[in-house]
Amino acid sequence: MDMEVSRSWRDPELWVKALPSVILQTTCFLAPLVMTFVLTFQKTQNFQLNWTWNLATWTDVFSKPHYWTILGHTLVMAVACVAVCIVIALPIAYGLATRFKRLDSEIKVLITFAFITDATLKTFGWVLFLDKKGAANYLLMQMGFPPETVAFLFTDWATLLGMVYNLLPFAIFTIYLSIDNIDRSLILAAYDAGAGKFRAFWEVTLPLSRPGIWAGSVLIFLLGVGVFLEPKVLGGGKSPMSAELIRQTFETRVNWPLGAALTLVLMAVAIFVVLLFSRVAGMRKAGQ
Amino acid sequence: MSKTWYSDLPQYYQRQIRAMGLDEAGLNRRRLLKGMAGAAGVAVLARMSARQAQAATQMTYMCWEGYNDPRIIDPFNKANDTEISFDLIVDSPGGFAKLQAGASREVDIVSSDMPWITRMGPAGLAMELNPDDYKDVYADFYDQFKPPFEPLMNDGKTIGVATRWGWVGPCINTDVTKPEVWKTYDAVFDPANKDKICVMDWGDWPILPMALHAGINPYEPLDEKQLNEVRLVLRAMFKNTRTLVGDLTQAQKGLLDGSLLGCIGAGSYLTSAVRKQGHKNIMAIVPEPKNGLKQGIIWVEATAVLKETDQPELSQNLLKHVVSKDAAHILALLDSTCNVVTNKAVESVFTPEEKDILQMDYMWHAYDNSQMHRIAPNIDEMLAIWQEELAAAQ
Repeated sequence: MDMEVSRSWRDPELWVKALPSVILQTTCFLAPLVMTFVLTFQKTQNFQLNWTWNLATWTDVFSKPHYWTILGHTLVMAVACVAVCIVIALPIAYGLATRFKRLDSEIKVLITFAFITDATLKTFGWVLFLDKKGAANYLLMQMGFPPETVAFLFTDWATLLGMVYNLLPFAIFTIYLSIDNIDRSLILAAYDAGAGKFRAFWEVTLPLSRPGIWAGSVLIFLLGVGVFLEPKVLGGGKSPMSAELIRQTFETRVNWPLGAALTLVLMAVAIFVVLLFSRVAGMRKAGQ
Repeated sequence: MSKTWYSDLPQYYQRQIRAMGLDEAGLNRRRLLKGMAGAAGVAVLARMSARQAQAATQMTYMCWEGYNDPRIIDPFNKANDTEISFDLIVDSPGGFAKLQAGASREVDIVSSDMPWITRMGPAGLAMELNPDDYKDVYADFYDQFKPPFEPLMNDGKTIGVATRWGWVGPCINTDVTKPEVWKTYDAVFDPANKDKICVMDWGDWPILPMALHAGINPYEPLDEKQLNEVRLVLRAMFKNTRTLVGDLTQAQKGLLDGSLLGCIGAGSYLTSAVRKQGHKNIMAIVPEPKNGLKQGIIWVEATAVLKETDQPELSQNLLKHVVSKDAAHILALLDSTCNVVTNKAVESVFTPEEKDILQMDYMWHAYDNSQMHRIAPNIDEMLAIWQEELAAAQ
């Protein structure tokens, strides 16, 4: 006998079941967010927080163009990182899920290792490699290249390299899972229908791996807007991104209201971009 | 073949599991819970035994790494039956902000940069100290740091006791550049040095020397015109900057391998650890006075006792211990950084090699040609200018 499931919000059982999650979300996410918002209407004087309600911080945020320059730079870098990661991750994930199926478990272990290896260690490793007097230039000089052939450390390119390097496993893993879950019979059916390998990939595998590509993109974008290690260590700190600006504002300037406002602006813009992409993706899907 | 809890793993791991006898254990819920209960029991027992071993008094010390060196702290713990836990700070403003946010109720004593210790006075965080209670301590001090030591005073009251010090000035590799070149900061702006200058990204540390170079005394209230001069000098500095680093090792590596000609916004704090490793070609110097302004900056670390401490006497004893001869000797020659201390008596235990590491033959020259670092009235405006110019330079 089928029982009718009550979906009403008045259903007490639903409330009881949802209560732990509601409490957790309220105390761990919503309350700090509300506090952050409240903080933006206070001000600091002599490095001390004064609980006096005012709009000075928001006036500052919207009147100083450099906050928006840094935010724009952050978004560009994050989007570039997403694009590069997806382009690199897609063939890797495809190869891992199809050609190297026998090594499935080993590959999962390796990807897990990439997640648990400290990003600080990996990032500083790149400095040793890319530096003017680093390993890359040494090796190239041994091969007859002129000194300092590799000279892009402390530029945005180096920052992007670090971001891609540290965030790539997220893209590989999500896309790999997506491709791995594709029903092989669908691809075989495409071959039976006369499609070549490329066409089968383009018309069957790629569309079906979209959930993984999308999940990976969102993950990398959100992590990308929050990076501070790569611009600082590999970018040489000369092209700061939003996370570093927020850190400086909180820690060095001890201006908590401004730091809180910049945090909220970054969150809002990041969510807006994700929603925008999701809307565009949704429209394209509906159009197909 | 029946499916086991590990049959999905690669053969290699399966063999390892069987070899270790873990296959027979079988990871079921009951066993897992049993294991967890056992682990919890062990944890409770460990906690109980730890409690039995606990000292009579618990204290919390907020400080830079190094002040927590066991060679400094263990003798104090033993002598006073205390157990000190540490709240290590990575930057002074962050530590100050944390105290303001409520950590002042937990922390008993703080060792941080002097301007932030002094700020604890008007913020109502620090206990006012009676210099008479510290006569024995000050008897061993260099005259420069004896009371009344104005930079550590608020409304005529002493807020803390100076512990370590050093100077801010160009850090150079004498194999690559000559100290004479750095008698002024002009080399920072020389187009020939483009992409060879490192700037230490430590809050106000790089801003203040640049202001002094521009003929502005940052330790006095500044008007719009003077702030604009600071803006222009920072803008020019960013043009030649190869990298801004927040990490000492990056700057030290660049100086050692010669990829960086000079590092500004740092000083003896950066060079001493490298000198300790035998690289005496790395040194921190102070430019000559310019436009009537001394170009070097003396930084001082100080220790203060929190107003809300429940151990005022013990905290003051710890403060006295930290600046004592034996503790100060250790504090002067840590692995991460080496710096001169305020206790003159330590000189008698320094070896000539240790004195050389600390550039002690140079320290009073540096002191005489430097401003004493203190609260810069317009530092927030200058930090905002820094952010603006950095964003514009990208």
